[in-house]
Amino acid sequence: MTSCHPSIVDARPQAPFYRPVGDEVEVFRAAARRGSPVLLKGPTGCGKTRFVEAMAHDLGRDLITVAGHEDMTSADLVGRFLLKGGETVWVDGPLTRAVREGAIFYLDEIVEARQDTTVVIHPLADHRRELPVDRLGTTLPAAPGFQLVISYNPGYQSVLKNIKESTRQRFVAIELGFPPEEVETEVVAREAGIDLATARALVRLGNAVRNLDGSPLREVSSTRMLILAGGLAAEGLSLRSAVQAAVVQVLSDDRDVIRALGELVDAVLPPP
Amino acid sequence: MTGSVGPAQFRLLATFVACRSVDVEPAPAGEPAFTDCQRIFVSADASDAQQRREVLVQSALLGAGSLDRRLIKGLRTRRSVARRYLALEGNRVLADLAETIPLAAAVRPEEPRTASPDESLELARSRAEIPDPPRWFGSIRPERQLPPSAAIGAPASPKDLRISPDLVEPTDDEDDGEQGEKSKILKLFEAPAFQSQSFSDFLRRMFGGSRSDANNSAGGELQVGSIRRAAAAGPNARPLPTPIRFTDDGRPGAAVGVSGALHPEWDVFNDRYRPDWCRVVDFPITAAADISAAAVMRDEVLRRRLSRIGLGPKVLRGRPDGDELDIEALIDLFVDLNSGYSPPEHVYIQRRKLARDLGVLILVDASGSAIDTDGGGLAVHDHQRRAAATLAATLEELGDRVAVYAFRSQGRHAVQLPAIKTFDQRFGAVGRARLARLHPSGYTRLGAGIRGAGEILKTQAGTSNRLLLVLSDGFPYDDGYEGRYAEADANKALEELRADGVACLCLSIGAVTAAEALDRVFGSAGHASAATLDELSPTMDELFLSCLSELAAPRSQRG
Repeated sequence: MTSCHPSIVDARPQAPFYRPVGDEVEVFRAAARRGSPVLLKGPTGCGKTRFVEAMAHDLGRDLITVAGHEDMTSADLVGRFLLKGGETVWVDGPLTRAVREGAIFYLDEIVEARQDTTVVIHPLADHRRELPVDRLGTTLPAAPGFQLVISYNPGYQSVLKNIKESTRQRFVAIELGFPPEEVETEVVAREAGIDLATARALVRLGNAVRNLDGSPLREVSSTRMLILAGGLAAEGLSLRSAVQAAVVQVLSDDRDVIRALGELVDAVLPPP
Repeated sequence: MTGSVGPAQFRLLATFVACRSVDVEPAPAGEPAFTDCQRIFVSADASDAQQRREVLVQSALLGAGSLDRRLIKGLRTRRSVARRYLALEGNRVLADLAETIPLAAAVRPEEPRTASPDESLELARSRAEIPDPPRWFGSIRPERQLPPSAAIGAPASPKDLRISPDLVEPTDDEDDGEQGEKSKILKLFEAPAFQSQSFSDFLRRMFGGSRSDANNSAGGELQVGSIRRAAAAGPNARPLPTPIRFTDDGRPGAAVGVSGALHPEWDVFNDRYRPDWCRVVDFPITAAADISAAAVMRDEVLRRRLSRIGLGPKVLRGRPDGDELDIEALIDLFVDLNSGYSPPEHVYIQRRKLARDLGVLILVDASGSAIDTDGGGLAVHDHQRRAAATLAATLEELGDRVAVYAFRSQGRHAVQLPAIKTFDQRFGAVGRARLARLHPSGYTRLGAGIRGAGEILKTQAGTSNRLLLVLSDGFPYDDGYEGRYAEADANKALEELRADGVACLCLSIGAVTAAEALDRVFGSAGHASAATLDELSPTMDELFLSCLSELAAPRSQRG
């Protein structure tokens, strides 16, 4: 289970690219060795999903991802009986499959799911490491290698949408933020396939938007957004048009804010 | 209150460079650019490019701390030194910025000669030769500097929280310059009008707005229970309303149905809330009403349409398709199959939203603007009142929870929500008569009204689907509350409601408000206008559903 690779960016084909910033890789590996569940926190587009993909690849385990949504029932996770001919057939849900196979189960945006749904993961997230399947009348012990990973975006939590304390306290928390300028430049350049100078201009712009005092924006420019803009630039679009399309117009619908943001972008980007 | 073009477009650029929230406004004609630490004034008649440069240099001075009080207080009387200091510092801060902002590198006139503001100041005071700064550097005006900590948006002081004997305060030092001047003039006109109204006298007796003599138990001292402050949190964080406790020597205000709170207001120009800004009070109308005026027009189309709305989740058994198996239906099916009979395989459980679980608060605009009349001699207000009566009667008949409140304001200290029918009352003859006798007066502080009504809806409706139905001409206007500021605040109030799971629909009946203005406040799907309610009735179910489904849809901003 342990890995001796110095970094998870390795020579194996299709290894997802993830550039570690702090000690998150070490924490995750240690948690994986213990089978402890992991809670990932961080803003939209900072690389939570990519991190899990990279870690699953690094640890050589399968990754089963489920995105939380409001209408999700526990049957969607655990499984259900279906009719086939004259018989009822049990069909495993994604969580049950992960428990049987010893895969990493990643529940994305857990706060979007209703709280009574997410309590089914409780027995898996503590010392018991088992999944009771009441419809089958059995309890499945988790196969070695099974690990539970959930993610959420603390910026959006409200009274209605928050993680239950009893759920939270079972997890090891890893906080991911936007990477520092140098690292982010490298990430943007590599993911979008652009040169470092262009990537640096984009990252500067991203930081300018993130650090606005009393910003009228709900969301700031994420790394994903900068990569998107970089991708457009790599396709031959001018940097200004790419930023206009992938950042300015995306962040707001308010005409005044778009204009004001356009002015900021114009000043921060290098002259054409 | 500028439109989409104008210096306000440089607001974010200035905020970024100055590292704090600043606004950009045009300076009085003929004056060069300057800043008062909260706003940057740019030459009114200059081109965009020049205004951009002016904003850049002024905000850079702010960001670099070159305009600290310590440095420039000595420049107040020494114009020439101030100009030399500006020339040196302007060059220095632009050079510092050139690394991060290419625009600064492009406009920078020459190499900086100093490395710190203190050094610049010393050199400016010396006899060294310093070329005059270019015109777009503007000027430094120490006498116009405001204290950096903004008084605007600060929590209300204890003085604001107490109702003074005169509801109209002579000085209002929390408003900024322009608004303050305007409001004083308005108040001169308002004060006598307000005092002459018997209704307001009644209110004052009730809330202790005026001194009560010993024999009169109705005038209690107004006390404020607590002040809560919201710490900076997520992007949707906002100040909580502070409840006001009404007490009296006999009974607490809650016993007679009076409640209120100090609600925040959104200041679009500073991108922040003004906490505890508006006093919103709701109270039952207890004046006697003439029962004979209680006729309500019935609308069969409306009833049929509204009866189609059903929204609560309900478990349906024995469905052909669904999430889970219905074991009971399955056993029946197998019994049937084994006895040689083959019924349809309806063996699933489905959860669908069918049960009707709707609470509606109808908020009738009772402001003075609603007295404009149409061709038929009926005022906008009459149309709205009739529509409110018909809607309330219809919804109540269909088994929904309905409340009817009127709403008007007289400056931010007096936003009133008189209750015509609370959620717990029946819409009987008395309620109908009260609605018919409602006389329009005052102004429309829409945001505060929406927040107050939303609070009532959230605490008293008790249903899972909640709808705020605003009957208004959609034209927010009050003392220091108009144009873009008012629209943005109303918009923000609606946004807050949606975040709390309350839908909002604005019906503009009999009024002539530009659809564009309604669009800006309520959003394109959130309003409808017509000459009479009958015209809207055939589509009322769609209107209700489109508002409520907006809440059911997954929030797009959650990533």
